[in-house]
Amino acid sequence: MKPKDEQKEDNVLFVGIDLGTSRSAICSSNGIQEWIESYAGWPKDFIAEQVVGKPVLFGAEALQHRLSLDICRPLERGIIKEGIESSERAVKEIIRHLIDLAKPEPAQKIHAVVGVPADSLKVNKLSIRRAVAEYVHTLMVVSEPFAVAYGMNLLNDALIIDLGAGTIDFCIMHGTIPSEEDQRTIFTAGDYIDEQLFNYLIEKYPNSKFNKNMVRQFKEKFSFVREINEQIRVELPVNGKPVMHDIKDEIRRACESILPSLVETTTEMIARFDPEFQMKIKNNIVLAGGGSLIRGIAEYLQNALKEYGTCKVTCVAEPLFAGGDGALKLAQDMPSKYWETL
Amino acid sequence: MFHGVMISLFTAKKEFKIRQDMLRGVYEENLSILGRGRPALSRRRSFLLKGILLSAVFSALAILMLDQHTGSLFVPAKPTAPISTIPVRLPPASVSAKLTPELDKYPLLPAVSVTPEDAVNASEFSAIMNSRNVSLMRMLGLKIKTIMIDAGHGGSSSGTTGKMGTKEKDITLDIAKKLKAHLIKSDLHHVLMTREDDSTVPLLDRVTLVREAKADLFISIHLNYLPKKNTNIIETYYFGSSDDKKTLKLAEQENAGSEYGLSDFREVVEMLGKTMKLQESKEFAESIQALLFLNSKKHDEDLQNHGVKRAPFVVLLGVDVPSVLVEVSCLSNPEEERRLNSESHRENIARYLATGIFDYLNKGARTYEAKR
Repeated sequence: MKPKDEQKEDNVLFVGIDLGTSRSAICSSNGIQEWIESYAGWPKDFIAEQVVGKPVLFGAEALQHRLSLDICRPLERGIIKEGIESSERAVKEIIRHLIDLAKPEPAQKIHAVVGVPADSLKVNKLSIRRAVAEYVHTLMVVSEPFAVAYGMNLLNDALIIDLGAGTIDFCIMHGTIPSEEDQRTIFTAGDYIDEQLFNYLIEKYPNSKFNKNMVRQFKEKFSFVREINEQIRVELPVNGKPVMHDIKDEIRRACESILPSLVETTTEMIARFDPEFQMKIKNNIVLAGGGSLIRGIAEYLQNALKEYGTCKVTCVAEPLFAGGDGALKLAQDMPSKYWETL
Repeated sequence: MFHGVMISLFTAKKEFKIRQDMLRGVYEENLSILGRGRPALSRRRSFLLKGILLSAVFSALAILMLDQHTGSLFVPAKPTAPISTIPVRLPPASVSAKLTPELDKYPLLPAVSVTPEDAVNASEFSAIMNSRNVSLMRMLGLKIKTIMIDAGHGGSSSGTTGKMGTKEKDITLDIAKKLKAHLIKSDLHHVLMTREDDSTVPLLDRVTLVREAKADLFISIHLNYLPKKNTNIIETYYFGSSDDKKTLKLAEQENAGSEYGLSDFREVVEMLGKTMKLQESKEFAESIQALLFLNSKKHDEDLQNHGVKRAPFVVLLGVDVPSVLVEVSCLSNPEEERRLNSESHRENIARYLATGIFDYLNKGARTYEAKR
């Protein structure tokens, strides 16, 4: 492996990118860590362009001006919707914006490792490469949970569960690069919670006005499973007047809607592994991704798995950057001879 | 102290080795994405099982063919007479009347003759088939209510693998999902899939699913693999015997993992006598092949039409409704593998398959109108 200081001499900026359905993050070797909401939007017309003052907007800013924009969330289910022109364009814009945020020096080479949901790797790897390749010198694509595991040094006897917006990815690490059998993806993830919550709220408060973006914000702010000792109330307009609504039960029900498939797939993944090592894996389950911020989810999973013996479930410290950090570490550790041939 | 240092050195060395292996693994995977990796894996082979299975299919077919001449074993000759003398009072064209959903969205090209293949003569109803323009299904006014889409392979059965590492099971699943979305838009049919994720579904279970769902139409989606030829072909199969070695080889590959026992064959082979299935499967296959090929040809001038064929695929044998197995593309062709990795190409294939299905369903409309 080429020493890191020798690589630095090559004037290379290493970046790790976590390309997510809801949020995308970049971590670079110059110490910069940034994230944006995975949205891009273009002004609908000349007037809109005058109002927003930019040819393209990203993330929260795009959401804020969404009424003036053709807005696109291109990584639905973690997959680039290629063929739909705006989606591919949006991914490219997001990548370009992320790389700008990393502030590369002029003429500096960029070597990137991009973490994507495991399912994307199966049929969309070329699309992902195409979208990223325009803005970097060389790149490698890896599955997101693997990037998390590598970054956290969880190389052996560990189960990584990346709870994203579009997908939940499971990845068993056993001292080698995970094969397809070591990975599973399910689609009852963050977006599914949003849908459930939206439906529950419509059912309970048919006269109140809210949209899916508001519902997503409620989820991100209040999500929990099991019980908590606090009231959850939000202000929603009814006939134009702001009214406080109790949404605690709906939040809990929506968040808990992903638990059955989460528990089932976790037990399946462990059960299919070599029985001699099952106990070790059960004691090294790590939750990553935005879903790991759901209060009580690690305890719930730990409790649900108790009937199969003792187990330990923990959450990564920084779910927003765990994937990007791991991807960056991969990029930095990668021997330069590998970069050269790609 | 010394012992402790040695242990930690050993651990560090082991971890370094693991990391190196992982990094090389990542590199090799990315090389394979670019089509520069190790040679593609060939189809999984379980010779013993396939050998037994294929022998069983041929034995069963041989017995059946013999039976058609001697009129003894499985299918009684009696039903022929009553069915052939059914008064031709055609029911309302329920199949046809509603079947023009959003067809303008789907590419319709003039009908062409597909590759010639043997006439369907595997049943005692062949006289009806050859003399009438109206199929039994439409004569009896049977409707297509439920369509079952089968994404080939899945889970532990990857099917073929391209040089870039693209797996047949992933592509077929994606196309199947897209096809389902197209068919659902018409709002006329109940559309089901034998698998909706990357799970292992044995062939026998797929057949059971079709039966339990009471599906009226079955389409199984696969990818071809022709390692010795740098071509891209499309071909569509319905169940029947074949003398073509390549077809038999393909059947052998696609039948891998079947859990049929020999004892099951007597029962399932009886289904071969069902003229309706053969008639309709043939028509269905012709529609699929014609529309899929003609539309796909727009994107690939070198695409070859290998036509409609008959082959002893187990998954088609067990299903007793109109059923086809379509090889929508060829994963051994590097250029085609690249295309299959694009969402738009898979979307196109799904759209052309939907067009083929609608074309088949609308044949009823045309036949009925002509009759009137």
